[in-house]
Amino acid sequence: MIQRKPYDFMVKYQQQKDWVDGRGNFIAFAFFLGGIAGGLFLASAYFDNLLGIFIAFLLTGLMGASYMLHLTHPMRFWRMVVKPGTSWISRGFTFIMLFGLFTVITMILMQWAPDATTAITTFKVLAGIFAFAQSIYTGFAVSYVSAIKVWNSAIVPILFVTCGLSGGLAILLAIMVGQGSAQIATLENIIRVVLIAFAIIVAVYLWNATYSSTAAKDAVIRLIGGVLAPLFWIGVFLFGIAIPVVISVITYWVHDASSALLITAVVSEIIGGLALRFAVLKAGVYEPLLPSD
Amino acid sequence: MRWGMAIELKRCVGCYECVLACKAEHFLPPEIFWNRVLIGESGKYPNVTKLIYNVRCNQCDDPACVKVCPTGATQQREDGIVWVDEDKCVGCRYCMVACPYQARQMYEDGNAQYFPGQELTEHEKIGKELYPHKPGVVTKCVFCKERIDAGLEAGLTPGVDREATPACVISCPTKAIHFGDLDEPNSDINRVIKEKHGHPFHPEFDTKPSIYYID
Ligand code: SF4
Ligand code: SF4
Repeated sequence: MIQRKPYDFMVKYQQQKDWVDGRGNFIAFAFFLGGIAGGLFLASAYFDNLLGIFIAFLLTGLMGASYMLHLTHPMRFWRMVVKPGTSWISRGFTFIMLFGLFTVITMILMQWAPDATTAITTFKVLAGIFAFAQSIYTGFAVSYVSAIKVWNSAIVPILFVTCGLSGGLAILLAIMVGQGSAQIATLENIIRVVLIAFAIIVAVYLWNATYSSTAAKDAVIRLIGGVLAPLFWIGVFLFGIAIPVVISVITYWVHDASSALLITAVVSEIIGGLALRFAVLKAGVYEPLLPSD
Repeated sequence: MRWGMAIELKRCVGCYECVLACKAEHFLPPEIFWNRVLIGESGKYPNVTKLIYNVRCNQCDDPACVKVCPTGATQQREDGIVWVDEDKCVGCRYCMVACPYQARQMYEDGNAQYFPGQELTEHEKIGKELYPHKPGVVTKCVFCKERIDAGLEAGLTPGVDREATPACVISCPTKAIHFGDLDEPNSDINRVIKEKHGHPFHPEFDTKPSIYYID
């Protein structure tokens, strides 16, 4: 249980814990799973990979399960659709449902009616739209919270969706390695671009946050040099950016890269994506209500 | 009609009577506080000021919590009071995250008692009947809406008549807390806010609080 003492409550920067500690871990997982599921669907749809689409669907199911574990009254989950006008959780819930529905239809058509190309394309596009929505809404749910300055940034949704895409592409790489696909080189080229974009977005996000407010600056300091530094430098930077980038560069020069090396990059990227969600959620602090000097 | 409060900071002595009155009025379980007294200091020796702020949900006119709640459990009445329908809340905690005043708490442990290992006190037993709090939902100050509603029905005026006024207001020994209708130009609360230059706590949070503080 979160203990808040009446005496010192809110006189210091107060870390948000509701969405990262205890049950809150599950919402961090849900955001991560939603991101990679969306990214994996988009990548798999582009490469026409049915197994990838199926795994994206399963990951979305896991996202739903993680969401349910986060709720204290999961049996009332159906109520979560009633406020799409203002609540990002409500919108997200709708996106997840529609993504699941259109993905199932797409998979059925791809498996049992492969000649219905128009229908397949239509449902793939519809599912793709909601895959993207599912991936990006988690960022909007976080960035909408104006009370937490380090979250309240337009870069957060872009960061989350890029991170989800890189994780999804990594999983598709593992699938293609397993399938011995001939398109691995093309996929690797896309991964290189996305990884570089991800690294740039992380840097811009942190740099921008230091200028936005003292609370956001405090959060960034905690991330890069404070208690959250191990999570950020080892989890996000080393696993999420450095290792995959080094492997990407190696595979660019050594065309015949080993599967073990590629799988290392995949696992590393997934760990990095998870670490990013936790790092951003843990970095969220409220401004003190009383002057802290 | 929009209920509001004005709190005179110089009158508050930090006795915690309002916190206890609230606890008793709503039979709040252990660890749950709808009302708090924040104590801090500002400045450097020898020019130090002690700060005592009595805080609770601000019953904001533009509440962040209502907007983010996906189920509609957190809602706003016509008189501005923001409350949580315990039967609709799923416990997603979005409202807790979104409230810049951190005025909300999750009531998690339905079995928590003030004297663990002993029998429930009479007060706790009565509370479980009169004001049963449902575990697993978010809870916060509701401006004693039950007192207001019953008082209005009995023809009383909240802020004037004790029975129709929030417990924290009537229990304050220094009369530091004023209560009344912010939409009524001649109400005592509007007079106090105007004459003594009342201002919301952290107006930059942009939620339009209904509680004003007087320095
Ligand atoms: S203080 Fe917080 S909980 Fe209360 S109405 Fe405002 S935003 Fe909602
Ligand atoms: S915890 Fe309950 S009241 Fe708060 S946003 Fe979720 S459903 Fe609404």
